[in-house]
Amino acid sequence: MLKKFFANGVRTRFIGTIACGWFLLLAADRVDPLRVYQGGIVAIYVIAIASVILLTGYSGQVSLGQGAFMAIGGFSAALSSKYWHLPFFLTLIVAVLAGALAGALLGGGAARLSGPYLAGITLALAIGLPNLANQFSFLGGEQGLDYSVGDPPLRFGMDFTTDKWFFWITGLAALITLWWTQNILMSRYGRTWRALRSNPAAAQLAGIHVGRVKVLAFTLSAGLAGLAGALLSMTLFYALPSAFPLSLSFALVTGAVLAGVTHLLGSMLGAIVLVAIPAYAELLANKLGGAERVIANLPGLMISTLLILAVLFTPNGPGEQWRTFKEKKGKKDRQTR
Amino acid sequence: MLAFISTLLIGITVGAIYSLMALSLVLVWRSTRVINFAQAGQAIFSTYVAYEVIQRTGNFILGMAAAVVVGALLGALVEVLLMRTLFKRIHSGAVAAVAPVIATLGLLGVIRASVGLIWGNDGHRFDAPVSTQAFSMGNTVIPFSRFNLLVIATAALVMIVFTVIFQKTSLGLSLRASAFAPEIARLSGIRVGSIRTIGWAFAGATGAVAGVLISPNDSLTPNSLDLLLIFGFVSAVIGGLDSLIGAVVGGLVLGIGKALILAYLGSSLDYPTAFVVLAIVLIVRPGGIFSMKRGRNA
Repeated sequence: MLKKFFANGVRTRFIGTIACGWFLLLAADRVDPLRVYQGGIVAIYVIAIASVILLTGYSGQVSLGQGAFMAIGGFSAALSSKYWHLPFFLTLIVAVLAGALAGALLGGGAARLSGPYLAGITLALAIGLPNLANQFSFLGGEQGLDYSVGDPPLRFGMDFTTDKWFFWITGLAALITLWWTQNILMSRYGRTWRALRSNPAAAQLAGIHVGRVKVLAFTLSAGLAGLAGALLSMTLFYALPSAFPLSLSFALVTGAVLAGVTHLLGSMLGAIVLVAIPAYAELLANKLGGAERVIANLPGLMISTLLILAVLFTPNGPGEQWRTFKEKKGKKDRQTR
Repeated sequence: MLAFISTLLIGITVGAIYSLMALSLVLVWRSTRVINFAQAGQAIFSTYVAYEVIQRTGNFILGMAAAVVVGALLGALVEVLLMRTLFKRIHSGAVAAVAPVIATLGLLGVIRASVGLIWGNDGHRFDAPVSTQAFSMGNTVIPFSRFNLLVIATAALVMIVFTVIFQKTSLGLSLRASAFAPEIARLSGIRVGSIRTIGWAFAGATGAVAGVLISPNDSLTPNSLDLLLIFGFVSAVIGGLDSLIGAVVGGLVLGIGKALILAYLGSSLDYPTAFVVLAIVLIVRPGGIFSMKRGRNA
């Protein structure tokens, strides 16, 4: 009976998501406030890395411009809350739609491009978009735009902190994202993307419309990035151009590669590493004397080094490495017996 | 009329620097089929070396020479240490197609952070060796300086050297052969691996020259060459990534186009134009403006 119930993948994933949610909810009450804040950032990174995994790991397209899509999401959410006075929940939906629209536009052009060309055009977007935001006054210039979810509802009690409120929102968003993305990846579309990634010509022969499928992946991925951008702006209280630097896009690629670009759940590992490294780098920098240039550059150095090492030595993620190791060991055991 | 001519001259100056960056990207692309995003990093490191040498000795030519040598060494080092390992380890899998892009990006991050660690993130003043004062003819001022002239002359010199090397020497023949058909080149007894390393060294040196030439108009920071990388990439794409002449023409087209837009439409459209040009070229003629019809490969 129970076995039959869990045979349905969609249902299993749904239950798993709910269980994770309960766990996070209880955990948030039992750790110190800094950890709660970092948990919120981890949740945002999980969403953003999931968007990279969907795009790069499954449809095989590299985007170095996820930070730009995040910026589009953050700014459109802030704009819609400023001019249309939408409730917070709806601004998140605006962010998703705006990100997806931008992704569809860029993807429409980019679907004909491969590897380096696509990387170049998205890199140009990531460098240029924050510059652009500085130039138009309705985007608030360098000060950015106010964007806030407001105080947590009173019924949660007086000692319910803003950080915890952020954590609840971002955690819920991350869980829903993971659940939804996993379902998409297991669906017909996920299968098509995998087919396309491993052999475009064969996929085309099998009747897959290559361009359309690629644009779809771009659109969905950019939508997720838009959501992550809006949530990031929420935790900063502002949609800021400087919150979406080029290094953010790089960090997201790093997180995805660390996790193994084809493992969605690995996005959690990647997100934790991305939050942990700057924290530890700061500790280390302070130990090394705490010069300003060390504090400013050590996190970047560590993340980039990690990216190179990851792509050289565990290109398919630590999980893959572990599996091949076990397979080899199993073979050896059988031989000696 | 005078204003138009001076705009053209400014465009050619900037375009010459873009051409150099584009050349360095094309040199690597031809031999390795990788867009070396770390080129901006290699160039900024070389530029900082030039800055250091100029600070110590006060001699611009010595600084430029140091940058060229360091750039070439760095390029060769990157090929031998990073690229060879990468291609040895990764043959297939989900990452194979994107691994080179990601690796060069990682390298860009590493070099940039290292430069920040050594020299700090604050801007440095990089003085031009000759006057950047505009020439004037009688009462009219042409916004074109001795330094602009030096930039154009240096870029032209680099291009002439490349033309001679590629067209007249056996090294150039090997470089062209191993870019055109590595297998056949290897069968004819060319050591394709070493030739590739030399190609990367040339690219590193060219990028270093571009970095040193563009810096005197700007303050020098660890990411001050990001835009040069993008404009170089756009130029290379306009010229079709595979062609050295295309890279030079692409750089000049982009430089002049940008100068004209700057003069007649205002500065806020500067960057978006490059992006739009890139998008249009990629969509209309993905093989560059000189491309011919080719067979499909997918």
